[in-house]
Amino acid sequence: MDKLIPIITQLSQGLVYTIGIFALTLLFAIPLGLLVAKGRMSKNKIISSIVRVYISIMRGTPLMLQLLIVYFVPYYVFKLNLRDLVIGSLDYRFIATIIGFSLNYAAYFGEIFRGGIQSMPQGQYEAAQVLGFTKTQTYFRIILPQVIKRVLPSVTNEVITLVKDTSLAQVLSLTEMFTAAKKLASAQVSVLPFIVAGIFYYIMNGIIEIIMTRIEKKMNYYK
Amino acid sequence: MSVLSMKNIHKSFGELNVLKGINLEVNKGEVVAVIGPSGGGKSTLLRCATTLETIDKGEITIGGDTLAKDSDKGAVYCDRKTLQEIRGKFGLVFQNFNLFPHFSVRRNITESLIHVQKKSREEANQICDALLEKMGLSDKADSYPCNLSGGQQQRVSIARALATNPDIIFFDEPTSALDPELTAGVLKVIRELAEEHMTMVIVTHEMSFARDVADRIVFMDGGVIVEQGPAKELINNPKSERTKEFLAGY
Repeated sequence: MDKLIPIITQLSQGLVYTIGIFALTLLFAIPLGLLVAKGRMSKNKIISSIVRVYISIMRGTPLMLQLLIVYFVPYYVFKLNLRDLVIGSLDYRFIATIIGFSLNYAAYFGEIFRGGIQSMPQGQYEAAQVLGFTKTQTYFRIILPQVIKRVLPSVTNEVITLVKDTSLAQVLSLTEMFTAAKKLASAQVSVLPFIVAGIFYYIMNGIIEIIMTRIEKKMNYYK
Repeated sequence: MSVLSMKNIHKSFGELNVLKGINLEVNKGEVVAVIGPSGGGKSTLLRCATTLETIDKGEITIGGDTLAKDSDKGAVYCDRKTLQEIRGKFGLVFQNFNLFPHFSVRRNITESLIHVQKKSREEANQICDALLEKMGLSDKADSYPCNLSGGQQQRVSIARALATNPDIIFFDEPTSALDPELTAGVLKVIRELAEEHMTMVIVTHEMSFARDVADRIVFMDGGVIVEQGPAKELINNPKSERTKEFLAGY
C-alpha cells in the first residue's frame, strides 16, 4: 500500500493530460470528421481528391510521426518559434498533440461517417425532398440522426483506440499517464506503475463501453 | 381546370430514351391510373412530375405554377422559391413507403408541416389526428414505423402526403411492396379518396382496382402513351394491339 499510493497520485496527475487529450481530440475530430466525409463525397473533383490524399496520408503514416511533424515543422520549416507559445495554461507541446490527434482521428471518423452516410437509402432523401425540406434540414433532421445510429459501433471502436493512443503523446515529452508510469517504473525499479497504468486505461475504456452500450440501447427504439 | 399539365415531355438517361414526348393533362377531381409493362416509363414520368428527375425537354405545370418551361435549349426550371411552393402542392406516395424510421408516426406527418409549412405545433397535430383517424390508425400516433405492418406504413405515408392539403397526389405502385392481404386496406383508403374527388395519378399493376377506381386509364409502353381512355372502356375494349396484348396477361 505504501508503494501504491504515490504511484496512484503521480499517475493521476498524468491522467489529467490523458483525459485532456482524449476529450479535446473527440471535440475537434468528430465535427472535422463530418467535414472530411462531406469533402470526400464532394462532387468537386479537386476537393474530393485533396481529401482523399489527406485521408491516405493520415491513415498511412504513424500517428507518432505526425505528432512530431506538427510539433517541429513550424520551427524547422517556417522558422516560427512556437515552442514558447502558451495559450492560457496550455503550451505548444500540448497544443501540437491535440492538433496531431485531431487531424489523424478526423480522417478515421471521416471514413466511418462516409460509410454511414452512403449506406442511407436514396428514398430517405427523396421523401424529404418532395416534402419540401431544404438540404440542410434534410441533413440534420433526417439523415444525420440515422447515420449516428449506424456508425455508433465503429465510433466506439475508434474512441476506445483513442484512449490507448493517448500514450503516443510521450513522443513530445508530454507527461500523460504512460510517460508518468515509465518515469515511476525506472525510479522505483518496479513494474507496478505499469500495471496500475494498465488498470487505469482499462477502467477508462470500461466506462466508455458502458456509456456507448447505453447510447446504442437508447437508439434501439427503431430499426 | 387542369391540375397537372405535362406537355411533350422528353427524358433520357444517357443513351436511353425513357420518355419520348409524353402529353398528360389531369383535371381537378380526376383519378388517372397509369398502367403498362415495367420499363415503359411510368415511374420516370411520375418522378419527373414530382421533381425527383429533371426533364430534358417539355413543359410541366402543377396547380397553376410552372415547374419547367420549354426553350430552344431544352427545359428550363423555375426558381427555387417557386419549386418550394410547387412541392407543397403535391404529395407523393412511394412504393416502399420511405417513412422516416427514427420519427414516430405523428412526427412523420407533422415534421414538414411544422418546419416547411411553418404551421404551429397545435395545428399540425390537429391535421395529423384527423388524417390518422381517416386512415384508421388513431391508436398508432406514437408508434414507430418499424412496429407497423406494411399496409399500416403505407397508410401513414398516404397521410403524410395528404398533410399539406395538396392539389394532387401521386402514387408510385403503392401496393407493389405489400402482400395481398395488406393491399386491400391501402386500396380502400385510395378508393375513399377517389370518392372525395381527390385529384390522383396512380401508377399501378392492380388492373381491377384501376378499372373500378380510376376515371381514366393511361397505357404506357416504350416511353410513349400508347392508348388512353375512360377506365372501363380501356380495360374492356382496348383499341391498340399492344394494349390488348398487355391486358391479356391479367
